[in-house]
Amino acid sequence: MDNPTAQKSPTYLEEFKRKGYSRKDFLKFCTLMAAYLGLENSSVGQVVQALTNKPRLPVIWLHFQECTCCSESFIRSSHPIVADVLLDQISLDYSETLMAASGHQAEEAMKNTMTKYKGEYILCVEGSVPTAADGVYCMIGGKTSLQILEEAAEGAKAIIAWGSCASNGCVQAAKPNPTSATPIHKLLKGKPVIKVPGCPPIGEVMAGVIVHVVTFGRLPELDGLGRPKAFYSKRVHDTCYRRPYYDAGLYVESFDDENARKGYCLYKVGCKGPSTYNACGVTKWNNGVSFPIQSGHGCFGCSEENYWDNGRIYERASAFPGFGIEATADKVGKVALAATGVALAAHAVMTNVRKKKLIKNLEKEGKQSEQELKK
Amino acid sequence: MANVNSPKLRRVYVWEQPVRIYHWLNALVILVLIATGFFIADPLTIQSSREAADQFTMGWIRTIHFVASYIFFFNFLFRIYWGFVGNKYANWKQFIPTSRHFFREIWSVFKIDILMLRGKEHLSVGHNALAGFIYFFMFLAFLVQSITGFGLYASMSSGWWFPQLFSWVPAMFGGDIFLRQVHHLTMWFFILFTLFHVYLVFYHDYVEGRGEISSMGGGWKFIEDDVFEKHMELPNEPPKS
Amino acid sequence: MSTRIVVDPVTRIEGHLRIEADIENGKIKDAFSSGTMVRLLEEILRGRDPRDAWAYVGRVCGVCTSVHSLTSVRCVEDALDIVIPPNAEMVRNIMFCAQYMHDHVVHFYHLHAMDWVDVVNALKADPKKTSELAQSISNWPKSSPGYFSDLQKRITKFVESGQLGIFSNGYWGHSAYKLPAEVNLIGLAHYLEALEWQKEIVKVHTIFGGKNPHPNYLVGGMACAISTDDVSGLNAERLAYVGQLLQQGKEFIEQVYIPDLMAIASFYKDWGAIGGGLGNYMSYGDLPWNGYRDTSSYKFPQGAILNKDISKVYDVDLRKEDEVQEFIDNSWYEYKGKGGLHPWKGESKINYTGPKPPFENLDTTKAYSYLKTPRWKGNAMEVGPLARVLVGYARGREEFKMVVDKALKDLNVPVTALFSTLGRTAARGLESTLVAQWGLDFYNQLIDNIKKGDVRMADSSKRNPEKWPAKALGVGHSEAPRGALAHWINIEDEKIANYQLVVPTTWNASPRDGKGQVSAYEAALRDTPIADPKQPVEILRTVHSFDPCLACAVH
Ligand code: HEM
Ligand code: HEM
Ligand code: NFV
Ligand code: SF4
Ligand code: SF4
Ligand code: F3S
Ligand SMILES: [Mg+2]
Repeated sequence: MDNPTAQKSPTYLEEFKRKGYSRKDFLKFCTLMAAYLGLENSSVGQVVQALTNKPRLPVIWLHFQECTCCSESFIRSSHPIVADVLLDQISLDYSETLMAASGHQAEEAMKNTMTKYKGEYILCVEGSVPTAADGVYCMIGGKTSLQILEEAAEGAKAIIAWGSCASNGCVQAAKPNPTSATPIHKLLKGKPVIKVPGCPPIGEVMAGVIVHVVTFGRLPELDGLGRPKAFYSKRVHDTCYRRPYYDAGLYVESFDDENARKGYCLYKVGCKGPSTYNACGVTKWNNGVSFPIQSGHGCFGCSEENYWDNGRIYERASAFPGFGIEATADKVGKVALAATGVALAAHAVMTNVRKKKLIKNLEKEGKQSEQELKK
Repeated sequence: MANVNSPKLRRVYVWEQPVRIYHWLNALVILVLIATGFFIADPLTIQSSREAADQFTMGWIRTIHFVASYIFFFNFLFRIYWGFVGNKYANWKQFIPTSRHFFREIWSVFKIDILMLRGKEHLSVGHNALAGFIYFFMFLAFLVQSITGFGLYASMSSGWWFPQLFSWVPAMFGGDIFLRQVHHLTMWFFILFTLFHVYLVFYHDYVEGRGEISSMGGGWKFIEDDVFEKHMELPNEPPKS
Repeated sequence: MSTRIVVDPVTRIEGHLRIEADIENGKIKDAFSSGTMVRLLEEILRGRDPRDAWAYVGRVCGVCTSVHSLTSVRCVEDALDIVIPPNAEMVRNIMFCAQYMHDHVVHFYHLHAMDWVDVVNALKADPKKTSELAQSISNWPKSSPGYFSDLQKRITKFVESGQLGIFSNGYWGHSAYKLPAEVNLIGLAHYLEALEWQKEIVKVHTIFGGKNPHPNYLVGGMACAISTDDVSGLNAERLAYVGQLLQQGKEFIEQVYIPDLMAIASFYKDWGAIGGGLGNYMSYGDLPWNGYRDTSSYKFPQGAILNKDISKVYDVDLRKEDEVQEFIDNSWYEYKGKGGLHPWKGESKINYTGPKPPFENLDTTKAYSYLKTPRWKGNAMEVGPLARVLVGYARGREEFKMVVDKALKDLNVPVTALFSTLGRTAARGLESTLVAQWGLDFYNQLIDNIKKGDVRMADSSKRNPEKWPAKALGVGHSEAPRGALAHWINIEDEKIANYQLVVPTTWNASPRDGKGQVSAYEAALRDTPIADPKQPVEILRTVHSFDPCLACAVH
């Protein structure tokens, strides 16, 4: 297919030159980018190739049930810088947060991209879709979010689910999920959905995912849950700098205690790092300044499915659905243990009552044998 | 006291040596897994002024948990294998109900041993059908615990291919948080089982007087002649009561 | 006869806002403001652990991120009678200031500027003249002719690519744009610079709260322990980092934001008489110098003003049943009884009665929004930067008087010009300069306190639920960037029995009440001139001057 943007759009190399960088700088950038994406040196050539020839990638970014923190996080990206992403790498044709146009003009901008770049644009979705009450809990321009999502997904080359809202429903899907907030992969069949969970995801991770698509023209490799392996292959616990304290058995007992000042492990004040897959321990936040654990608060698993209902923030033991918020596995276990103890004791007593005859016979038999042996 | 009928007892080799070794190894690693599992879930704090670099307490606890896990898992695999090649008391049919009288026996054991209703005592040679059936669930729990355990372990292990066979597991549970909960709750099944099991072993030893406890040591049980004969008619089948 | 126009989505805001307006004789006769998305967090909070609430409500909004968490921990601390250590108070204040600096700058450049700055027209500017102009209003270093000409080339190239991205379909060339090309170019340049700058100031949150958006808070204090002699907590390096960020943030506000604001405002003085609206203003006050409970030590004083009468300021009491109440006469909710409810008795049962989508128009004679309608003693109130600045001014606070009087003098406009769209936008800039300074003041206070040997950051003594009363009521308030914010909690048996948020944008953007009294947006839109109903940039100007946040407003 003829790409209508191929002639008009500046390539990345052109952009670079125009900004006064040399080709050498450009190669250096590509190497950095490749390293950032976790590529072998041999594929650097591929990055150079991609950035030199491609027109800007059309992007439609929708907002549904969300808090816009994903957009906010995205603009915090330091590498690449978001101004450069917006001006040089993608064409953000629809974004309720940033676009100049409103109302009809905004809707028209989206329609233009959907027809002109059918099959080529990337659809980014921030927020979940409420399916209760025929979708009236989120309406834009008089349409439901479900209608808009289906229309926009139709011609999309790929779909990115930003943040926990779009990937797993996030806070509005927590019990009792009054609006039936639904993550988008459950509503779109037959389209690849890249999930970038986190509340929000790290800005550099978001930009990294986009850059991956721009660079390689294909989607990043995903894990079993549909997340890019490049950022979600390790648990926070396995990349946490406090891990030696965990292994040593040195823990913070309560906030601001002596152990907290020493930077001990936060496991006992509820850290969910051991069950959370995210890049926080490595990439860290806001250009590597810190991450929750480094600032003294445990991870509460913001990139994991259903994390709002999986137990309390400051408790390690897992709460069990269906037993009320109080019930943790161990409480259930202890009750069962007590019940068992009582049942067994009762059984033992009953045995001696109800099976008196049988036991007596056995005893008699035994005593008789004993007697016979004495003789 | 001449009217006491003293039955003739026959010595039967019920538990073969591999089953006995399996049993005690299994009992040991499960106790270790429970103990270390508790520590993993809720560690003790060592209010020590030593530096982290000097100690590895939790590291060891986890290591022990994982070593025990491997032993547990392969021991379990071995037991499945022995269910096909071992003697009839070890056969898989002892655990999986395949006939109507298996259920009938479960019911009768339940009536007489659990509800303590009066009735004709059943007497089996290996374990009774109810016990066998419970072991069946026990084996399912083994499976659940192995799958959830190795599922959790897959992403931590960088060593060899085996744990990677389980890397699909977290996705099935929607992530590690819920997976750990299932793993943790299943532990309680083991604790309760052990309690029941040990009690019942003593119970049988007490009310039947056939050397139940020691059977897992030497392999021998002592069976009344008439019971023995009845069982000869039913090769590889759970006995009628 | 009037014609109804619809703006939906209103963009460059947070969330889903719909404006329907009736135009008659080139002016807005009546306007209707509707929030069209709901999540019902208040229902989701029921039965949960009060200590966790800050994290849930934090997710109400990622733009004014942190303010709901702050209000929530204050609310729970109020219910459980916890007083946090002074260091934690200072850290919270510093984070508060960083939040304002970020939110206000991003609002001005990325959400509001394109209502005043014609991006396409900037391509016509003379870079040399632009440079001279820029240097005449500020000594910000990035203002050479080369800088502006590079930028212009970059944007020209961008526009010529035919892929206009975020600039597509804007109202470029509309007669309402009045700036000379050179000022447009400065605005565009600083749009991009502010985009780079904003990711820096939030690092203050990252240091204390571990991340931004959505930094971590803690009931009882803050989680970031102080370790003056350990690498593991807040030490000299971490604190110096904060100090530097605050300093750089302040420089940007003083050397870029304020000069641009003044330059742009001087071309739009007519907007000093448009979009005034209610004339009732309210602030809960915030930034305690001497502990949250000592309201007199607040940098932002508390108070209410009625009918533009700044000679009298009323006190506000959030605990009184008959002061703050929420009504639902025109909202998609139902109450068990009738009338308004104080938030401790608040209900959140949804009941959509609007048209079935897809639809062209709402039926604005019936309920037409997911926002409830809050009232103070029955009065519709405007909250936000303008309200805060007016309350500070009316309370006679020196700092407020200084910045306000200077701005009025520089622009050569009367005090009444404050009651307007322009006044709202200007007030946001003016309080930014105050907050930027206060951030540094709080920072110094924190350092002093640590120097004296106080390293406490959290009081954990009442975190254990066994020490809680069986029942407790609490209210926590704050001044969020968009205005007065409060949360009310009922705790029963260690759990949340009821949790209600009344949010700044709920005050401003709500539908009219049962008596037909309109709220701030609808009041401000009335009488706004509309040059071209097909391109209603004037609606955007006034609505944007409030900095709408609909995720907050409905929650
Ligand atoms: C009877 C058998 C077992 C019991 C009773 C048991 C018990 C436990 C318990 C209680 C935990 C703590 C869970 C929590 O955090 O709440 C745990 C963790 C764990 N178990 Fe097991 N477990 C058993 C078998 C296994 C097996 C077969 C594996 C296979 C590798 C395994 C691997 C793990 C792993 C990887 C963890 C998480 C450790 C960490 O994150 O540091 N477990 N186990
Ligand atoms: C004092 C400790 C124990 C004693 C004396 C004991 C004894 C026995 C005996 C006598 C049997 C034969 C079953 C029957 O006749 O019904 C048996 C079977 C079994 N026991 Fe134990 N046991 C002990 C602890 C444990 C523990 C801790 C576990 C694991 C949690 C365990 C797991 C099993 C299993 C799975 C079987 C079925 C064996 C098979 O046929 O493969 N036992 N045990
Ligand atoms: N309205 C509102 Fe907020 C603010 N500021 C919060 O309370 O924006 Ni999201
Ligand atoms: S995932 Fe979290 S940060 Fe992103 S929109 Fe949802 S609530 Fe906000
Ligand atoms: S602080 Fe959390 S992630 Fe880090 S080692 Fe401890 S438990 Fe693991
Ligand atoms: S709470 Fe979220 S930000 Fe990272 S450390 Fe945990 S995944
Ligand atoms: Mg509310």
